[in-house]
Amino acid sequence: MLNPGDKAPDFTGRDHNGNPVKLADFKGKAVVLWFYPKADTPG
Amino acid sequence: MGVSFDTPAENKKFAEKFHFTFPLICDTDRKIGTAYGANADPGKGAQRVGVVIDKDGKIKEWHARVDARAWPAEVLKTL
Repeated sequence: MLNPGDKAPDFTGRDHNGNPVKLADFKGKAVVLWFYPKADTPG
Repeated sequence: MGVSFDTPAENKKFAEKFHFTFPLICDTDRKIGTAYGANADPGKGAQRVGVVIDKDGKIKEWHARVDARAWPAEVLKTL
């Protein structure tokens, strides 16, 4: 787990349209991430 | 942004069905999930971890389990 004040681990990935997404691209903005187990499942 | 271990095709279907206006990141190699503590069981999908990162790139909130429907909307109101 991560604790408040920890540096957020940088990441690069691709979104559902194949566009690259990097945490560094959001510098100066707040970012909300939420993880989910499987697309389109209730929970 | 949503993150799962699904493929782009699976997440594209999901995003289109619900008309999401945010990206769904396809963490197929689970690197992001591992870094953020959402990959406790490699045989299963991601845990429903919720994270708020402040504008300085630091963790503001980390929750082991959030309600996928309510939490993102709630937390966005506080930013």
